[in-house]
Amino acid sequence: MAGIGAQGLDSGKNILTHMGKFRIERTGGIPLSLFLIVALPFLGSVLPALLIRAGRNSAYLSTAAVTLLALVGLLLNAPAVMRGETVTARLDWLPGLGLNANFFLDGLGLLFAGLILGIGLLIIIYARFYLSREDPMGQFYSYLLLFQGAMVGIVLSDNVLLLLIFWELTSLSSFLLIGYWRHLPEGRQGARMALAVTGAGGLAMIAGMLLLGHVAGSYDLTAILDQREAIQASPLYLPALVLILLGCFTKSAQFPFHFWLPHAMAAPTPVSAYLHSATMVKAGLFLMARMWPVLSGTEAWFYLVGTTGLLTMLIGAVIALFKDDLKALLAFSTVSHLGLITMLLGFGTKAAAIGAVFHIINHATFKAALFMTAGIVDHAAHTRDIKRLGGLRKLMPTTFTLATVAALSMAGIPPLNGFLSKEMMLEEAAHTVWADYGWLVPTLATLAALFSAAYSFRYVAHVFLGPVRDDYPTEPHDPGAGMWMPPALLTLLVVLIGLFPMAMASTLVETAAGAVTGGQVQQVHLKLWHGMTPALVMSIIAIAGGVVLLGAHGWLDRVWNAMPRPEAKEIFDALVGAATRASRAVTDTLHDGSMTRYGAILLAFVLALTGYAWFSGTLAAPTRRTMEIAIIPLLGWIGVILATALVVIFHRNRLVTLVLIGVVGLVVSLAFTYLSAPDLALTQISVEVVTVVLMLLALNFLPRETPLESSPMRRMRDAALSIAAGLGVGGLIYALMVRDFAFPTISDYHLANSYSGGGGTNVVNVILVDFRGYDTFGEITVLGIAAIVIFAVTRAVLNSPVRAYLLNRKPSEPQSGDAHPMIMVVATRMMMPVALMVATYIFLRGHNLPGGGFIAGLIAAIALVMQYMASGFSWAAERLRFPYSALIGSGVLVAAATGIGSWLAGKPFLTSAFGYFHFPPLEKFELATAMLFDLGVFLAVVGAVLLALESLARFAWRPGIASEFPMDINPAREVEETTAEEAR
Amino acid sequence: MIQGDLSIILPEVVLSVYAMAALIGAVYTSKDKLAPTLTWATAALMAAMAVWTATGDASARTAFGGMFIDDGFARFAKVAILLGGASVLVMSQDYLSRRDALPFEFPLLVALSTVGMMVMVSAGDLIALYMGLELQSLSLYVIASMRRDSVRSTEAGLKYFVLGALSSGLLLFGSSLIYGYAGTTSFAGIVEAAQHGHVSLGLLFGLVLLISGMTFKISAVPFHMWTPDVYEGAPTPVTAFFATAPKVAAMGMIARALFEAFGGMSSDWGQVLALLAFLSMVLGAVAGIGQRDIKRLMAYSSITHMGFALMGLAAGTQFGVQAMLIYMAIYVTMNVGTFAFILSMEKDGEPVTEIDSLNLYAQREPGRALAMLLLLFSLAGVPPLLGFFGKFYVLRAALDAGLVWLAVAGALASVVAAFYYLRIVFYMYFGKETDGAVAGGSPVLWVFLAVAAAINVLGVINLFGVEGAAAFAAGALVQ
Repeated sequence: MAGIGAQGLDSGKNILTHMGKFRIERTGGIPLSLFLIVALPFLGSVLPALLIRAGRNSAYLSTAAVTLLALVGLLLNAPAVMRGETVTARLDWLPGLGLNANFFLDGLGLLFAGLILGIGLLIIIYARFYLSREDPMGQFYSYLLLFQGAMVGIVLSDNVLLLLIFWELTSLSSFLLIGYWRHLPEGRQGARMALAVTGAGGLAMIAGMLLLGHVAGSYDLTAILDQREAIQASPLYLPALVLILLGCFTKSAQFPFHFWLPHAMAAPTPVSAYLHSATMVKAGLFLMARMWPVLSGTEAWFYLVGTTGLLTMLIGAVIALFKDDLKALLAFSTVSHLGLITMLLGFGTKAAAIGAVFHIINHATFKAALFMTAGIVDHAAHTRDIKRLGGLRKLMPTTFTLATVAALSMAGIPPLNGFLSKEMMLEEAAHTVWADYGWLVPTLATLAALFSAAYSFRYVAHVFLGPVRDDYPTEPHDPGAGMWMPPALLTLLVVLIGLFPMAMASTLVETAAGAVTGGQVQQVHLKLWHGMTPALVMSIIAIAGGVVLLGAHGWLDRVWNAMPRPEAKEIFDALVGAATRASRAVTDTLHDGSMTRYGAILLAFVLALTGYAWFSGTLAAPTRRTMEIAIIPLLGWIGVILATALVVIFHRNRLVTLVLIGVVGLVVSLAFTYLSAPDLALTQISVEVVTVVLMLLALNFLPRETPLESSPMRRMRDAALSIAAGLGVGGLIYALMVRDFAFPTISDYHLANSYSGGGGTNVVNVILVDFRGYDTFGEITVLGIAAIVIFAVTRAVLNSPVRAYLLNRKPSEPQSGDAHPMIMVVATRMMMPVALMVATYIFLRGHNLPGGGFIAGLIAAIALVMQYMASGFSWAAERLRFPYSALIGSGVLVAAATGIGSWLAGKPFLTSAFGYFHFPPLEKFELATAMLFDLGVFLAVVGAVLLALESLARFAWRPGIASEFPMDINPAREVEETTAEEAR
Repeated sequence: MIQGDLSIILPEVVLSVYAMAALIGAVYTSKDKLAPTLTWATAALMAAMAVWTATGDASARTAFGGMFIDDGFARFAKVAILLGGASVLVMSQDYLSRRDALPFEFPLLVALSTVGMMVMVSAGDLIALYMGLELQSLSLYVIASMRRDSVRSTEAGLKYFVLGALSSGLLLFGSSLIYGYAGTTSFAGIVEAAQHGHVSLGLLFGLVLLISGMTFKISAVPFHMWTPDVYEGAPTPVTAFFATAPKVAAMGMIARALFEAFGGMSSDWGQVLALLAFLSMVLGAVAGIGQRDIKRLMAYSSITHMGFALMGLAAGTQFGVQAMLIYMAIYVTMNVGTFAFILSMEKDGEPVTEIDSLNLYAQREPGRALAMLLLLFSLAGVPPLLGFFGKFYVLRAALDAGLVWLAVAGALASVVAAFYYLRIVFYMYFGKETDGAVAGGSPVLWVFLAVAAAINVLGVINLFGVEGAAAFAAGALVQ
């Protein structure tokens, strides 16, 4: 990946040129056929969907042809594999990810691929005759091929990522296979559980594979398989093992995940036979076998895999005996046999592995045959309930023969193939010691074999033997050759492997077992007679016990049904329900819609994060001395703290709060003065006044007090959080202030250049109008826009129904009788010229002494606002000669014109010029273009503040709010009145 | 000089000038009647900008004294942002028009927020970063509460605004601390002061506050509180927009700020991001299970996905950045498709968002159900769909960086999250017999849904080459 990054730094190319290229490399003997074998089912899956219009047979034949072709391709490679070679095909796919489309074919792959394609072919033939006319056959075959391709992909992958992809594809395609089965109401729950369980297991396996690849340094299986020591020594071995086994156990329906398989059996019989018995559920076994060389041999492996297998084998066998549904019986028997193979793999010995491989072959043959016979019975008698069957021997002789042979093989009766591998299992079990209990594994294994024999006998005895009944749903009869030929072929294999194991299977078992154990296996001896071994004794016990159990079945069944036992489906549903409730509890607690809770959580987490920063950072020693604390500033500080605390305490009383906030603002302005920042102090105090006036306006619309809604606990929580956050911020700022900055601040530059460059000694003002003039220009524009927006919004709101509400509103406080106190009216009117004069003064001195356009604008605005407050809105509005928007506009224009003026002098925008003039009798004074700019600021500020306040004040306007005459004594009015009286 | 700078930010300039001109133009002409045209025009312009950005010279250039960086990383993110935004615009037009809820400001606000996003991923300075972020956020606050007559929409907008302001405050506070201790706001300057081992406390505080403020925008737990409320309350097209472009932009911004300014402290912020990633993945997965509303579900889904993308960043490596970019590109594709589906959910002509209205949807609309199934599997990260590759990239990045616990936790979280995606699939295929949602809306939605699903399947072949482009982009960011 580093390489990609390095080459990515070429300049002069757009990002598209770096898009990945697809690289194909092929090595090996006849490797392409491996790609073809995997690709054929995928490519072929479009055929049945297309050809279904041409009829069911063409869809069926195309499917069979594709499968046959793939099978032939596989068999062409078989001789090489049998000689011990490994056929490989490599294709770089996403090398950055470690994902290569590498395939390899060894003994194990050959065995499984052969099973998948071979049984697949038989199933395809069988399904053609099983499916009825209403079934969507085109889709069925399409999805079946998709599934087949995925399965072949799993067993041929030489890359764990590729394997994962095919692994989950089987989940997906099996879901589609069942999902399109419209008339399948009872299958819903089964499909849901199957997908949930196997899908989740597969995702867990991704993590396991990732860990494994991480340890091995490669995601190629062949590379991983070489690294047994490194992997088993790694601390990640156990987590990887557990996660991978989760995937295998869920897929192969191992205890405690076995429950999904029987429920999935609601699917049509060809699907259950193929997916849920012969192939998909064996994927987990395949993977355990594939990983056997690197993962097995440890205690963890033995106890996890061996124990799980043993338990599954026993539990599956016991439950199977008591199932009345033919397919449920077979399903649990499948679970049991999968457990058997898992257990053998778990033992970790070579002999056990050979037994596992051999049983995979045997189980596939007899179980697929049994499923097909069950399907035939269902098809013919229209029921699968054992209690409603019996006596079919005479009615369906062919089916009876096939089923009996296969069932006897499953029971482990010599000379059938099931006997051979069961003997190997018992032999291994006989000398396996589980945690010092030597008797445990042999006993349980024998018990499982006993139940296994019992349910196999039951399958034959209760379905085919016994008297012919007269209440079958439909009259049963043997099916056509298309349906019984496939199971017949498999049954033939059952017998042949049983009779001539060496000739039929030894080479295959040898190569496959060799691939599993990762080395050359010594000559495998498969034979019927080993002498009177412990295994034979156990086998005899099992068969005899099986017969006894079958005899006692009626009684046992009643006991079993009377026993309380956990129903997997209910447990699953309960688990899902519990998860949903737990999740809702989490969301209801965290996301109850309350902003304060959100804020509290957010703040608490930020505090935790900063706490982390506090403990992991370093703090240099302070570099600045603190100032001496004089008594006056100390008092001021106490004042601020007190006022702030009181704000919190009295925050429900709005007026008091406002007064206290004003106190804080004033003390802060005083502090600015004390710390030699008169400009800031002036700005602060004027802004403070304007803000308080604005808030007073708002108080008009609010009740005097806010109600108390929060609980004491919540207030405690909030108090704790606020105190922590406040102390944190304060501490940070303190820490910042007692240390020098990491670099010299820009202040020195401004101090040094203020006079020489900007012609002013008030650095703050020079920054505003000169150094940062462009910023200021932007700011006054924004200020003006903001005021106009407030104006526009007010207009819009007051033209809406809100106006009626405002007019009819009952103020919470009775209005004062004297709306315009005379003293205030007189004072404000008298102060107005004075205030304007002060503003002018402040404006003019601004360039060199504290002051400037901004502050002057605020002072002028306050003077005018006072007129509104004292004499009433209408009185003030009457005397307004020009709109405030014009004031704003002219301010911005003046400022802009000043800036543009510098272009005339050939300078960049807003370059200021200044000079000194002397007009007698005035003293020498300075004129700078910056002052003109400052005038623009002044105008914009006055206009913006007044426009905003005036607009907002309109909310409060009501008829009769102001007395007719803001001032009682008005000489002019009295004259008018007198004349009017006189006129009368 | 200024010409050079302007030529570098030309795409942003074009888009802003267009937005402002269109705003004024529409105000003085036919206003909302122009809205459909403006929506399509904006989408077309954004798509054109995407093509321009993708095909232009991707060598690294800076403008305005390093304030703005134009490199492969920025271009990759911008293409994803522009295409994601344009897709959502095209999808929303018909939906909003038919409900008479398409003001002409909507496409223009989307365009302006897109400009903000483009600045975010190109920022080379804390101030530029903040400007971009606020331009984006302010536009989003407005469109979140676009339906002023809907209480939910208003509430959503208000919550988003208040919490967003809080996070902005944190970010600003952090930035000022960084400025105070590093002495500069430019990333290139900060990186010299911020080297692991001798990091001053103030800088570290600044860093965690900066991270807090930034991760709010990707709704990482515990800064995610606004997400479910806003996703549910806002009009669905707005939700679709929230779920796509802004997430890429915020991710890009986080990567940019952390790698360019704090590249020397990756072990410090890596831990914080790992924690956030862990919390997001777990909470998003767990909380999603109980949801009944598909929009709310998508909110939790996005939280989980952001956790995964953060995992890539937490690795602190070039491969991690590459993984994050690939993840985000895939994420946008999946979400565009999913929201195309949600926008088309209708019952009696009214939009529905309840999950159980999808009962047996597959029988009514087999094609759409299949496309949605693919998207949901992809969202769950099931191989071989694209979503798996995204997940795998970030998981590998975390593993390679030694974050084994995080990778395992992520994989397990994806198992939990898979449950709620698959639940929708079950509803669609095996639900109960109820009269549920049908497909409505314009054919455009169907096209987007189908194309997104097809991309998620066909992307398996070679991820459409995004891998290499992402590697190049990551290489530009992490030297």
